[in-house]
Amino acid sequence: MATTTKNMNKYWRVGEPMVWLSGASLAITLLTAVILLAVIMMNGLGVFWPAELHRLELKDGSQVAGRLMKTEPTVDGNGLRRQYKIANRDMYGLDFRWIDENQIVRQAKPKQLLVLERIEHGDFYGELQSLVINGARHRGSLADLDEALTAVNKETDGLKELEDKLNDASYQMEQLRLKELKYRYKGLADSDSEMITLNQDKVSLDKEFRQLIDLQTRQTARAREDKAVFTDVSGTEKEIVLADIFQVYTPNNMSAGEKMVFYAAKLVELLVGEPRESNTEGGLFPAIFGTVMLIFVMSLFSFPLGVIAAIYLREYAKEGVVVRIVRIAVNNLAGIPSIVYGIFGLGFFIYGIGHSIDSFFFPERMPTPTFGTGGLLWASLTLALLTVPVVIVSTEEALGAIPREMREGSYALGSTKFQTLVRILLPMASPGIMTGLILAMARAAGEVAPLMITGVVKLAPALPIDGNFPFFHLDRKFMHLGFHIYDIGFQSPNVEAAKPMVFVTTLLLVLIVLIMSSVAIYLRNKMKKRYTFGTF
Amino acid sequence: MTETRIENPIIEVNNLKFYYPGNARALHGIDLRIPEKQVTALIGPSGCGKSTLIRCFNRMNDLIDGCRVEGEVILEGENIYAKDTDIIELRREAGMVFQKSNPFPKSIYENVIYGLRIAGEKDKRLFDERVESSLKAAALWDEVKDRLHESALGLSGGQMQRLCIARAIAVNPKVILMDEPCSALDPKSTARVEETIKELRNEYTIIIVTHNMQQAARVSDYTAFLFEGSLIEFGSTDQLFVKPQNKQTEDYITGRFG
Amino acid sequence: MNPAFFKKVKRNDRIAKWIITVGGMAIIFSVVFILILIAKVSLPLFLAPDKDLRAEFQLEHKTAEDKILALGVDEYLETGYRLDQTGTFRFFNVHYGSPLDTLEVSSETGSRRLVTARTYGRLNHMLVWDDGSVTIEHVKFYPFFDEKNDNVRSIRHRIERLASFAAPDYGLPVETMARVSDDGRQVRIDLFRSGEFQVTIAEEEESLFGAGDRIEEMHQLELGAVGDVTAMTMSTDGLKLYAGTSTGEILRWDLSDIEAPLLKETTRAFTDQREITALNMVFGDISLIVGDEQGGVSTWFPVRDADFGWKLTRIHELQGHTQAVQDVSPSPHDKSVISFAADGIKISHMTSERFLVGFDHGAERIVDFAQSTRGNGVITLSDHGTVQSWKLDIPHPEISLKTLFGKVWYESYPEPTWAWQSSAGTDDYEPKLSLTPLIFGTLKGTFYAMLFALPLAIFGAIYTSQFARPKFKAIIKPAVEVMAAIPTVIIGFLAALWLAPLIERSLGSMFLSLILIPAALMLSILLWQGARKVTPLKQVERGYEFLVITPVIVMAVAIAAVLGPGLENWLFGGDLKQWLFNETGTRYDPRNCIIIAFAMGFAVIPIIFTIAEDSLSNVPQSIKAASLALGASRWQTVWRVILPSASPGIFAGTMIGFGRAVGETMIVLMATGNTAIMDLSIFNGMRPLSANIAVEIPEAPVDGSLYRTLFLTAVILFVMTFIVNTVAEIVRQRLRAKYGRF
Repeated sequence: MATTTKNMNKYWRVGEPMVWLSGASLAITLLTAVILLAVIMMNGLGVFWPAELHRLELKDGSQVAGRLMKTEPTVDGNGLRRQYKIANRDMYGLDFRWIDENQIVRQAKPKQLLVLERIEHGDFYGELQSLVINGARHRGSLADLDEALTAVNKETDGLKELEDKLNDASYQMEQLRLKELKYRYKGLADSDSEMITLNQDKVSLDKEFRQLIDLQTRQTARAREDKAVFTDVSGTEKEIVLADIFQVYTPNNMSAGEKMVFYAAKLVELLVGEPRESNTEGGLFPAIFGTVMLIFVMSLFSFPLGVIAAIYLREYAKEGVVVRIVRIAVNNLAGIPSIVYGIFGLGFFIYGIGHSIDSFFFPERMPTPTFGTGGLLWASLTLALLTVPVVIVSTEEALGAIPREMREGSYALGSTKFQTLVRILLPMASPGIMTGLILAMARAAGEVAPLMITGVVKLAPALPIDGNFPFFHLDRKFMHLGFHIYDIGFQSPNVEAAKPMVFVTTLLLVLIVLIMSSVAIYLRNKMKKRYTFGTF
Repeated sequence: MTETRIENPIIEVNNLKFYYPGNARALHGIDLRIPEKQVTALIGPSGCGKSTLIRCFNRMNDLIDGCRVEGEVILEGENIYAKDTDIIELRREAGMVFQKSNPFPKSIYENVIYGLRIAGEKDKRLFDERVESSLKAAALWDEVKDRLHESALGLSGGQMQRLCIARAIAVNPKVILMDEPCSALDPKSTARVEETIKELRNEYTIIIVTHNMQQAARVSDYTAFLFEGSLIEFGSTDQLFVKPQNKQTEDYITGRFG
Repeated sequence: MNPAFFKKVKRNDRIAKWIITVGGMAIIFSVVFILILIAKVSLPLFLAPDKDLRAEFQLEHKTAEDKILALGVDEYLETGYRLDQTGTFRFFNVHYGSPLDTLEVSSETGSRRLVTARTYGRLNHMLVWDDGSVTIEHVKFYPFFDEKNDNVRSIRHRIERLASFAAPDYGLPVETMARVSDDGRQVRIDLFRSGEFQVTIAEEEESLFGAGDRIEEMHQLELGAVGDVTAMTMSTDGLKLYAGTSTGEILRWDLSDIEAPLLKETTRAFTDQREITALNMVFGDISLIVGDEQGGVSTWFPVRDADFGWKLTRIHELQGHTQAVQDVSPSPHDKSVISFAADGIKISHMTSERFLVGFDHGAERIVDFAQSTRGNGVITLSDHGTVQSWKLDIPHPEISLKTLFGKVWYESYPEPTWAWQSSAGTDDYEPKLSLTPLIFGTLKGTFYAMLFALPLAIFGAIYTSQFARPKFKAIIKPAVEVMAAIPTVIIGFLAALWLAPLIERSLGSMFLSLILIPAALMLSILLWQGARKVTPLKQVERGYEFLVITPVIVMAVAIAAVLGPGLENWLFGGDLKQWLFNETGTRYDPRNCIIIAFAMGFAVIPIIFTIAEDSLSNVPQSIKAASLALGASRWQTVWRVILPSASPGIFAGTMIGFGRAVGETMIVLMATGNTAIMDLSIFNGMRPLSANIAVEIPEAPVDGSLYRTLFLTAVILFVMTFIVNTVAEIVRQRLRAKYGRF
């Protein structure tokens, strides 16, 4: 008995519990990371799965059709309540509704309840009543609806092409307008040959534009003629234009296989589709594209600069005060808050250099800024500054890990410093350099604060690359995945409805960043192992 | 210091003083004549300056910031420490093999021709020729001739060192400097390298630093004994090992200190 | 081999060296450059105001008869005008003094002689005619585009009569003041030689059917036992009336009720009973400007006192004159005050109490002046008829070190305070740009974040580096590094939209888990002591502890989640938040520092962890072996030997984590209420420097005070992180030299 107490005291005295406590600290840290990822996955993965629709009959006799979102205890603690998405925002005014479980009398999952995804006003839950094709109204089955929708889809595809042509035409018109501004600024009179040509172009372009608009109006009117009449769960009729319907499906009538196909199709739509309904629905393509462009342009700047600076630090600078100061400078660059970079970008790149470029090259457009406002170029430069230290540190580490003997071997054979660098050192350091580049790119995908003030927008009118000369429009504003999350989550009129989209975007971004970082770290660790080669 | 007369030395060292950063003097006025196409061994206890001396011959010490050299080292009539010396050229004339073998992470073939490439050679036939002749001279050809384009890192320790020798030979140097080339090798590999050295002496002047006196006795024609930065004795190996003229030399050779 | 090739190779080498050296040096310079640039943008905040004499000329007609009663100038500083006693507005070119045209006005009664005129607001002139009637004229400048002449722009002017007032029946007043508000309410104050003080109000009667009849009422205002009225002023809308006396009293009336003008307050403004010589109201009509006979200039406004009444209180004291103040007037576009005495004109800003510029004509005496409505210019008239036109460059009058960092008594506030509120949508808003709440916010957020992150990171690093199995270490280290890569926008989003509602719903459970987790740990350690006697379990100790303890933690949290609501009911009557408010007055803000501690802590832990772990692992094994060989337990070894050795590295890691927390923007932007309050409570939010920049800069007009102040906050952020990072880096370099790589 005494020994046990003595052992116990020894256990404590010796500090063993502290080991457990530090283990607990680690456990808590890892748990929070796991929980974070789990929350994202749980909320994000289920978004596109076509969940079943319930039809509920309540005690007060009313009927509700909706998708079960979550269940939780009621406010007063007795029993449970359910949150249903009841959709039909334009009819009910709200998307979601809480229903206490004790109010539910009957619950069913009727097979013919369908979900309509619409261009506007979100989803619609209801049943099909009749079709109105070419002015004639007749009863229809779901198969008829599908057929009609396919036909209308062909028309809307044609309309999309027309829309593209119109966009091109208005782009051309805009270019002409700017050209005119430039001519006037230079002082050309209407009688000059250039102005005459310009006016002629304007006239013909105008004509073409008007023709296209006419065509568009007519075709749109025709496409919108076909409608369908649906009823909601309580029997109220709603006429919906077929062209406004994006997709229709009956979740209660789908097999697991069909649901999986549906899910996959939704994923594809997410990646290549355009956003709808103020970014809360639809696809992420412009945001993905903008993020990729940002990463690309940023790397063009930060990669060479970072590698060169690291080479200087490691190979050329003499050990001493200078190198120490440069190292301190590099690590300071790494520690400067990203918003300070943003504000620097605003003051120097946008209002400084951008403004000068405008005064020089586009004075006729003033005061409308071309480069004197946020855009892809300035955002990329700002981020390049921010990520240069990452590249420098990784490259420096990689170069430093190369044993001295490699360098000596090369010099002893009569090579210059530059030759040694290019033939031996850089190839050997390339995994480490790649690490730095990948880490920099991951940072660019996730950093939002400086972008908010240097050129990212909620909805960009056009992509930074398109078919119009000069093809690369670095002065355009763009969209970005990270900013998307902030925007949808915090600047949406309807946060509850937006939540699924935010989770999906978050999941995508987290996956991208995690994969990139893991690859980078894996490369780095592999490289570290590389330099114990040979047997001694 | 006791002298042995060398006619037409390939390297002449005149009053060479070497200072590490912070003015720590490592070599105190070395005078030495290295005979051509012979193997000269530099021996002495740890810290005597033999590595420092050999690294002066191809100015590898320049890589250490803050070193200072006084005196002359004359290679084939020209002082390598003159102001207008072309160091790149020098290093081609004096090749070096290091204690820790350091093949590049490239193929065997690429390792051997590295020196040629950086000199601007592009002739594939020249490359093939040199690879074969150098690897043969280094007694490695038979072992690797079927895998010339595999990575050099797959070789054994001894093979790697011989590869480094082949690499040094490939640029046709006048002198091959070897800084304790076998100290990291097992006895079998050591023996093969020593064999190679003995064969190379017909074509090249070899200066070898070694802390292994038996190796010096086996391999070299002439030996220089250094102690604490000064040259104590220089003479033909036979003579120095059998009848050293200096007491310090004798003490070292007989193992009274090491 | 090939001499030409050698030359090329050597040349490449030289070029490479040059490029690389330049590139490397560019890095130092970019850091310095960033600082210089943002400092450069913020520096003009502290520039001294400048005045520039643009023109000087003599006015014709400077006979005594043509006494000039008012001056005016347009906002482009091109056209000026003077009003003389005959009611004639003479316009002239401000650059050369050359006359342009004249416009004449006369009273409704046909009188053509003015007694006096007063300027107020933006080019409004109150004219008092010799028959006692009063008219209010507004000089309107407008741009005109001549279509026939290539749309050349010129400035034209005309005079609009805003209101006219009939003469009082009582007789001719000694002193008159009139105002007309935007909705047509006219107020006229008359002071008579007999001491009678009269107010006449005319307004549209409100009726259910829209505009009603015009009613007019006249009242005598009781003065009470005070000295003679020596100065008076009204707000622009005619609702507030102030009068000052010869013995230093100020009286305040509320004229909003046409039936009953109300004397709200009589205050002894000066203990030495000095005469009040000039009164006016600051732009915005809240503060009263008081000029006295000793040359003092001060501003006042009513402050709530202990008995819930309002007491006129002196707020700001501005630079005074050597002689009695003759006139005070407000700037028409900001809170600046112009005071005028025999020694010249002084312009000061009320909020910052900064003296901006002053004018005098030297030998000549200034008799009148006018300011442009944009505040960019002033014209002065001397007693010799010399007109001087000055261009003013007063970039940021409201900014001073005191307004940036000290407590300021803002209009309508009960006391001096620190406040940040950059705008409020109205033109006459007094900007509150104190950086103190923001700096407080940064420090508060960082404090709570480090409170959560530091122990977890350091103890976790100790465990990983010293006690965990190598195969676990190989997974944990990269895992934590990858954690560091999670974008903060995602952390912020989850914190705001998932964690905040969760904690708000289950606050009790959260606090309970804070108690239960340590308790569960203690309990399981105690149990373990018994259990470890069983040999197979003893194996667990070496390196598996963190796995074993995980379910314990999870269970503790689960139990807390289940018991929480019940506990809350039992101890706190159902709602912890309500109880908190009732007992301590602390409000629970759904987005508060608990969330920040978790979220920002989560973002900062990996950084501290990685660096601390590296430095702990780099302590030479020999030291560890020596300690263990001497009989120390593994924890004792860590605590007494390894931790001290690694402490510089851990310190560096902490510093870097601190720097990261200081600069974090997205998490704070999303997970706090972003209110610029200064409250230490963990239950409400704050606004740090970083999030403030992100929120304010999109709307800040370029080169305005707000814009430059935001750049100043960026400088502060830069300096804070610079100091922290440099200290950390120096410590790291020392360590690197001592221990080799890490």
